[in-house]
Amino acid sequence: MHVDHTQPLEYSSGQGRLNIYGFWVFLGAEIMLFATLFTVFFVLENRTGSGPNGAEIFEIAPVLAETFILLTSSFVIGLGIHAMRIGNKKAMMTFFAITLVLGLAFLGLEIDEFVTYIHEGATLQTSAFTAALMTTLGTHGAHVTFGLFWGISIIMQVKKRGLTPETANKSFIFSLYWHFLDVVWIFIFSFIYLKGMM
Amino acid sequence: MSELFPRKQIVGFVFSLILTAAALAVYFLDLSFAAGMTVLLITAFVQALLQLVVFMHAGETEDKWSIYGNVYFMMAIALVTIFGSLLIFLWDM
Repeated sequence: MHVDHTQPLEYSSGQGRLNIYGFWVFLGAEIMLFATLFTVFFVLENRTGSGPNGAEIFEIAPVLAETFILLTSSFVIGLGIHAMRIGNKKAMMTFFAITLVLGLAFLGLEIDEFVTYIHEGATLQTSAFTAALMTTLGTHGAHVTFGLFWGISIIMQVKKRGLTPETANKSFIFSLYWHFLDVVWIFIFSFIYLKGMM
Repeated sequence: MSELFPRKQIVGFVFSLILTAAALAVYFLDLSFAAGMTVLLITAFVQALLQLVVFMHAGETEDKWSIYGNVYFMMAIALVTIFGSLLIFLWDM
């Protein structure tokens, strides 16, 4: 395998570079996936039937906490990639672990939010609005859940094999995924929650 | 220790917190729908761009134009899908 030492480790092999570019193409498809969910949500937002509307069920405090936690985790995994690039494996693993703990906290809050909605009579079947809302939030939450398992596997592999062109490449790609989930959340926070409470 | 906290990323993080706080204006202030949406559109898209450039390192290799091209193309298709559907279903055109 040809290794180019002028590039960061994750870009050092031709395969690694292609993997990263390929993942960007995948993220392009993910943009479209979430765009269709946002489309459904915006179209059905006012079809609340006999159920509640957004202003009645959204609460600012947990939503703000979720936003802050996810923003912070996105920042921390960025620090993890920086630590990886200066070859500090221990710091990198610590930052990745903090990222996943924050991800878990986010998920806990989101599950609590769903339970609250259901207690308030807003279930998946209540109205077109609640169905679109829960599908959109749920798809994002499912991505975060998948990311937790993926991230744990990455940490285990780095621990076992150290920082090689392959593990660095996988870690970098995971960081792209995690940042992307944060970007999606920014749009959920702005155009579902804040717009709904405006 | 300080080499673990690069300035660029810290500035990026602080800026993303400021944008989040700015977006909250629509909740705490009594803005009109048009003014509120303007604030949200600006803060959300600037925030997304910030993540892309500062944290996702989108522009650091030779693949930069393919990466930006791919993302902007998909964003364009996404916006056409969203606003096209709104035109048909909600705005009756």
